[in-house]
Amino acid sequence: MIGVVVALSTTMIVVALGLLAASSGPFDQAYTRQSGAHLAASYDRTKVTDAQLTEASKPAEAVAGPFAMATVALGSGQQPGQPDSMVTVGRADSGGPVDRLNVWKGRWADKPGEIVLNRNPVESSNGPGAMTLDSKLTVANGGPTLTVVGFAYSVSMSADAWVVPEQMTALHPTASQMLYRFADAATNEQITAGQTAVTTGLPSGALLGTQSYLALKALATGEPNTFVPFLMVFGWLGLAVAALIVVNVVSGAVVAGFKHIGVLKALGFTPTQVMTVYLAMISIPAIVGCALGVVAGNLLAESLLTRAFENYGAGGIGVPLWVDVAAMVGVPVLVALSAFVPALRARSLSAAQAISAGSAPRAGRGLRAQRWLSGIRLPRPVSLGLGLPFARPARSALTLAAVVLGVTSVTLAVGLGTSLTNYQTAASRVGAVDLTMFAGTSGPQPPSEDGPPVAKLSDPEDEALLRSTAGAQYVTASADLPMRLAGTSQDLRVSFYRGDFEHLGYRLLEGQWFDGPGQVVVSERFLRQRALAVGDTITLDSQGKSVRVRIVGKALYNSGEEVLSNWATLQLVAPETRAQLYEVQLQPGTDLGTYVEAVQAGDSGLQQTSGQDAGTFVTAVLVTVILLTLMLGTVAALGVFNTVVLNTRERRRDLGMLKSIGMTPAQVTLMDVTSMAALGAIGGLLGIPLGIVAHRLVVPAMANGAQVDVPDFMLDVYPPQLLAVLVLAGIVIAGLGALLPARSAARTTIAEVLHNE
Amino acid sequence: MTDDEGNGQAVVRLTAVRKEYGESVALDGVSLEVNSGEAVAVMGPSGSGKSTLLSMVAGLDRPTSGTVTVHGEDLGALNEKGLALYRRRRIGMIFQFFNLLDDLSALDNVALAAQLTGTSASQARKRALELFEELGIAGRRNTYPAQLSGGERQRVAVARALMNRPAVLLADEPTGALDTRAGEQVMDLLLDLNQIGQTLLLVTHDQQLATRCASRVIEVVDGRIAGERALERTP
Ligand SMILES: Nc1ncnc2c1ncn2[C@@H]1O[C@H](COP(=O)(O)OP(=O)(O)OP(=O)(O)O)[C@@H](O)[C@H]1O
Ligand SMILES: [Mg+2]
Repeated sequence: MIGVVVALSTTMIVVALGLLAASSGPFDQAYTRQSGAHLAASYDRTKVTDAQLTEASKPAEAVAGPFAMATVALGSGQQPGQPDSMVTVGRADSGGPVDRLNVWKGRWADKPGEIVLNRNPVESSNGPGAMTLDSKLTVANGGPTLTVVGFAYSVSMSADAWVVPEQMTALHPTASQMLYRFADAATNEQITAGQTAVTTGLPSGALLGTQSYLALKALATGEPNTFVPFLMVFGWLGLAVAALIVVNVVSGAVVAGFKHIGVLKALGFTPTQVMTVYLAMISIPAIVGCALGVVAGNLLAESLLTRAFENYGAGGIGVPLWVDVAAMVGVPVLVALSAFVPALRARSLSAAQAISAGSAPRAGRGLRAQRWLSGIRLPRPVSLGLGLPFARPARSALTLAAVVLGVTSVTLAVGLGTSLTNYQTAASRVGAVDLTMFAGTSGPQPPSEDGPPVAKLSDPEDEALLRSTAGAQYVTASADLPMRLAGTSQDLRVSFYRGDFEHLGYRLLEGQWFDGPGQVVVSERFLRQRALAVGDTITLDSQGKSVRVRIVGKALYNSGEEVLSNWATLQLVAPETRAQLYEVQLQPGTDLGTYVEAVQAGDSGLQQTSGQDAGTFVTAVLVTVILLTLMLGTVAALGVFNTVVLNTRERRRDLGMLKSIGMTPAQVTLMDVTSMAALGAIGGLLGIPLGIVAHRLVVPAMANGAQVDVPDFMLDVYPPQLLAVLVLAGIVIAGLGALLPARSAARTTIAEVLHNE
Repeated sequence: MTDDEGNGQAVVRLTAVRKEYGESVALDGVSLEVNSGEAVAVMGPSGSGKSTLLSMVAGLDRPTSGTVTVHGEDLGALNEKGLALYRRRRIGMIFQFFNLLDDLSALDNVALAAQLTGTSASQARKRALELFEELGIAGRRNTYPAQLSGGERQRVAVARALMNRPAVLLADEPTGALDTRAGEQVMDLLLDLNQIGQTLLLVTHDQQLATRCASRVIEVVDGRIAGERALERTP
């Protein structure tokens, strides 16, 4: 029993500490994991050869490259929302000594014609026309068409995309990329010194530009560190629960052994010898359990953290060594301490006291409660069960604390799950947009041979077709334009909507929808990154034209680069543009396939595009939350299990007597389960408010990290029915933990304990 | 508190009861009858199987072979729940070490026996109080076991055993943990109970207890009945 509990608790502790460690420096973790480049440099290929670069790089600790590099301009015929150009690097594989890329979707390019894009898995890229696997990119000026075969993420931000070296040659590289790691890279001076070392002896003017890891780190601080707050909360919760359980179990085991201790004393062992024997008996299972727990904890933590910090693109984050050491040392110390206190008491007890202490709780505790319970109108096994916790107040308190924390975690987890699901539903507009149809490019150019099909009908005809086809409820048409906020170099994507955009799922958090020309609606992240507010006026540039627009509202979506506007505003910028996308909400019960067929019968050029990419990030959070909650719940239930086992062992005589006067097995089970369910109910009543408070703290902190707003629907996630269910959760955690030992207590034959002892 | 059958009929009947614990044989073919209104003492050396015999009658354990019938009920045919209900209705037990619940008052310990059957707390307490008065311990009803003397505790235990008007009262060394005076009081109590018709089956080492309370003594040696004699009681 001690072994099992210590193993599980150690697992929990390793995971908890691993979470805390990881959450303290996720960027550095991810950077270390990927062997991120401390310095990324690009060199002029006409001035320096690869051999010279390799030779010069010797002072660096590790080097990757030289890789051929080019800024590849993309031709027309792209889907909307795609970039105009991409910094592309030729690399044969994603590994290597520096900048080991995490290919999180698809695979690495292995032949010409394939391209892998750099994308952070967490970033929302669900907009219309966003690239997915198998998307085609056509290089401008008659260049090749490349197929997206994978998405990778580079914490070092070493490129926008990668192709195999042979393909790179065909793209006419202009620069060579070198990625360096230095032994010392903690300060700007050290990085500058490193840079000097690896560029010494190179022709002057060969170095085109560099990017330092410290600069990236500064940027990353503002990145979505969304996981950190909740991992910290779960980490601390896990640590507390595990410690409580260990104390409870170990001290319980020692108290249960009092009788044994008494016998040893009667045999003539000195008090200190007794204590030594006892501590030794406890330590062996504890140490075995601890070792197993560390192994299990590492495995679990690794899979959890990898999931959690996918957004840093680093695969397989491990538990730092100090966590293992801390667990290996800390858990046995905790065990020893919790064994020590009661053992110390055993040392001073006389043999006779010790013999009796183990079997019968001293009279006088909770008597008043028992007297009151004897008289109330409940089945006697229930009222007896309710009285049991009073017989062992300290143990009951520890058990209660474990249940409280268990319920707190469940409450927090359920709340987080609901908040995130609400957020995801709102942000991805699931349930609002049933169908997205792609009409082709906006420009006047004729369609290219292998480009996407293009709508046969005109824009108004297409919209009319979609509306008149049976089953349509709401239809919007939209066109995207790449624009720039005046005075900055940041690319924005502005989507201009026409039609029933109020009905297509965007949640307006502030202000109102646009109702005239020159109006836009933006996201919280957009406002924060540019220190703007609803009501401000901004200038947007596109293709030499400028337009002043007013921010009239703020909607819920998770991109700082997307702006929503209306058709009237588009007329000010590019009046000739046709809609590229149609979003349709169908009447309930309409068959999607039938509708699409009917529409395509009218215009075969309209293509159904892949819908919203289910947010990998939210899924990762949910999975993590569920796993952590299950673990915490299990450990808490185990604490209850242990308490019931100990109580049962101590109360063998009482149980025997109760059976001798006719208590049925069902009544015995009922009594024991009730005793713990009562703790569970109290645990629920205390744990739920704690969980709600934690939720109120964690969600805004997470949202802040993600630079999104916290609308009320993310905070008000505890309707009364749910609270009732959560109280039940406490009772269930406790009841389940009690059920097994209670049933076995109910079944044992007790004839002998009544006569002997 | 008498049994509803007439005197002279077998209330307890053991037929060829054998009980093994692993290798060792605790009871080896014991057949025995206890008639209604009788007081039977089981005596024998330590380890001879007396307590085991009592457990068989109480349905606390099942014989390896043979049958136990009490008040017409074959205990072998009952499941665990049936046995519990049987104990509730048909038997009362008292032990050498009393086995009272420490955190219930004397009265609540006794009332408990009735409350398990669903009797309300107030009714159970009322009946318990009657018994306390009959047994002369009414003044101690609100005291906790730890504060009672051994003799008082055993009388509380007797009261508890009588709560549900058992057909047979089983006692295992009821005076074993008591001093002479307290032991005598308990003996008197048992004798009184028998004289108003309560069937008794008691296990004891104590020759005096046997001669004073029992009308018949059964000698058990090595799990077998070695002898049986009728006694003239010497009150
Ligand atoms: N639960 C048990 N498991 C194994 N052996 C048992 C068990 N109960 C009793 N025995 C064995 O059965 C035999 C009879 O035991 P029992 O307790 O009936 O004797 P007893 O006559 O009551 O003795 P005493 O006078 O000392 O109380 C003994 O040898 C004992 O060791
Ligand atoms: Mg015995």
